[in-house]
Amino acid sequence: MKILLVGMNHRTAPIEVRERFAVDDPAPWLAKLVAGGEIEEAVLLSTCNRVEVIATTRRLDAARHRLRSFFLRELSRGEPLPDSLSSHAILYEHVDTDAVRHLLRVAASIDSLVVGEPQILGQVKEAYRVAAECGASGPVLSRLFSTAFAAAKRVRSETRIAERPASVARIAVDLARQIFETLGDKRALLVGAGEMIEMALEALRGAGLAGAAIANRTPAHAAELAARFGASAHGLDELPALVAGADVVLTCFAAERPLLDAPLFEEALRVRRRRPIFVIDIGVPRNVDPAVNRLDDVYLYDLDDLSGVAEANAEERRRETLRAEGIVQEEVDRFGGWLTALAAVPTIRRLRGRAEAVREAELARWAARAAPDEATRRAVDALTRAIVNKVLHAPVSRLRAHAEREEGLAYLQAARVLFALDDPTAPGAEADERDDDGPAGGSSAA
Amino acid sequence: MVTVLHQLSAAGYLAATLATALGLALPDARLARVSVWALFVAVGVHAAGIAGWHWLDTAPSLTTLPAAVSLMGWLAIVFALALLRRGRLESLAGLVAPFAFAATLYAAFSLHGGKPAASAGDGGWPHLHVILASAGLSLLGVAGVAGVLFLAENRQLKAKRGGSLRRPLPSLEALDRVNVAALALGFPLLTSGVIAGMVWSQALTGRIWDGGPHATWTLVAWVIYLALVLARFGMGWRGREAAACAAAGFAFLLFAVVGVEAIS
Repeated sequence: MKILLVGMNHRTAPIEVRERFAVDDPAPWLAKLVAGGEIEEAVLLSTCNRVEVIATTRRLDAARHRLRSFFLRELSRGEPLPDSLSSHAILYEHVDTDAVRHLLRVAASIDSLVVGEPQILGQVKEAYRVAAECGASGPVLSRLFSTAFAAAKRVRSETRIAERPASVARIAVDLARQIFETLGDKRALLVGAGEMIEMALEALRGAGLAGAAIANRTPAHAAELAARFGASAHGLDELPALVAGADVVLTCFAAERPLLDAPLFEEALRVRRRRPIFVIDIGVPRNVDPAVNRLDDVYLYDLDDLSGVAEANAEERRRETLRAEGIVQEEVDRFGGWLTALAAVPTIRRLRGRAEAVREAELARWAARAAPDEATRRAVDALTRAIVNKVLHAPVSRLRAHAEREEGLAYLQAARVLFALDDPTAPGAEADERDDDGPAGGSSAA
Repeated sequence: MVTVLHQLSAAGYLAATLATALGLALPDARLARVSVWALFVAVGVHAAGIAGWHWLDTAPSLTTLPAAVSLMGWLAIVFALALLRRGRLESLAGLVAPFAFAATLYAAFSLHGGKPAASAGDGGWPHLHVILASAGLSLLGVAGVAGVLFLAENRQLKAKRGGSLRRPLPSLEALDRVNVAALALGFPLLTSGVIAGMVWSQALTGRIWDGGPHATWTLVAWVIYLALVLARFGMGWRGREAAACAAAGFAFLLFAVVGVEAIS
């Protein structure tokens, strides 16, 4: 049994390519995939940042070919890739342990664009649910996804990976919380009406900001943004009064010289009885005179200062990510143990089948020779069955116990050699064909 | 039993102190919450210890220096825990804990060594004096610790060092509110305590002012408090200036008043 993962993500394919491969309803695609015979189980995960299929197969090369064709012919709807991109560049492939590790990293949000973001786990769960409902997922992927969910839960509870600020806007909000107890009774002034201002306003609103005013050189642009966020729109001539009424001032404005200087803030502090003002200047060149930071009760951060804070916290994020990777590795090992144990099932079944075949053959030979009465025949049948069970008990128990450990495969190999399980001429081999007909019985090994 | 209860509460305060220090160093906000739970347990045990002392001690109870120090430590933690309703102040409570730890430890080992602040007299005035003055001084202590924390955080924010954004520190705004609350509540309490002390002194000696070190330093404490209150509510000082004043006032009282009381 092999586990194969093929897909693309934000690192290998630009958005215009990813959106072409995105899938709204994976069920019909999965039905086609598992109907072909190369693939036994499959789950299709399609989000803004990735499209991936994870599958189990007994024919790795055929499955690999099938999945590549699935992406490049079926999911792409026949549209060719841009000339600058090759399929080898955009599609990655992971097999067995690497595939398991990749899925666990995705579910734990270690592989996300914004590391620690919470949405991905819900998307992975949804992808699995769809696959389970349409019958594309079986015992192996069921166990694998359970492991992935457990790993994601552990990463979330045992590390602080989800708590790390990851953008300028988030860092600004976190800094504001060090100054103000709550943003629920605070007002912000945003100078400019560009994308950064919009993102910052969104983050501040998300943090519970009470109200906002937007000032811009072109009041119409400010009005447009203000209407979307329930803020008020103003021209730059109103800045002195607006600063006095703002607890948070955020500027990102194209100007040759600073718009806001120290005297303006001194006056604002006098008007607001020295209640503190947090100023975030992400304009390049800067919109706020650096001398403003010398005023008590004004906390001025420009883009470099915010980057410095981000860098100081990035080290923590790296540490948390390393801890998360450790948890993922533990869960990968645990799943690997389960998978090895699964491989033990056919060996144990064959061993038991051979022993039983030998017993039955010897019993039949004795019965033909001795012609026992029914009671004697039953007694000898029970006796031989008990002997076989007792003789096999120790090796079978030990095979099961060691199967989940690293040395499990060596024990299985030794058992196959010692009992000649791969020798079709060995006594009892006639039972092999009968026993190998059934499924691997993964759930029983679990 | 009283000694054991004080030792147990000292252990709780120490645990809260260590949890807070660890929470700030790692940083981990969960440890700040552990610290608060440790404080709740310790303050309960400490209350039992103080109640025991009150019932078992010879009259006038609670007027020995160890008993008053123990009461001050307990009240400081009670105030710090009550302030949790007003903001993310877990670490402030944790940083008040070492003072409560020192107070309970001192009280535990001085249980039988303290001599009454007055050689005679009983009734409500001694208790009233001790309780009100201790409450006023412990609030000044909380304001002082909040002031030190404010100055440290303000310095870090001004220097733009940022530090860990997850360090479980209170906001500057919450710390400034602690300053307001402590002064607004603590000054009337200390003033009432001083008046109760004067009435007590009058009943004992026939004079409202006995001129001893205890009376002198209580008056000094009251003057410091008055200055802080005037600066905050009269001159409109706030933020860094108010925090620095509270920290300096508390430091002065800690080394002067407690030191003098201990020597005398």
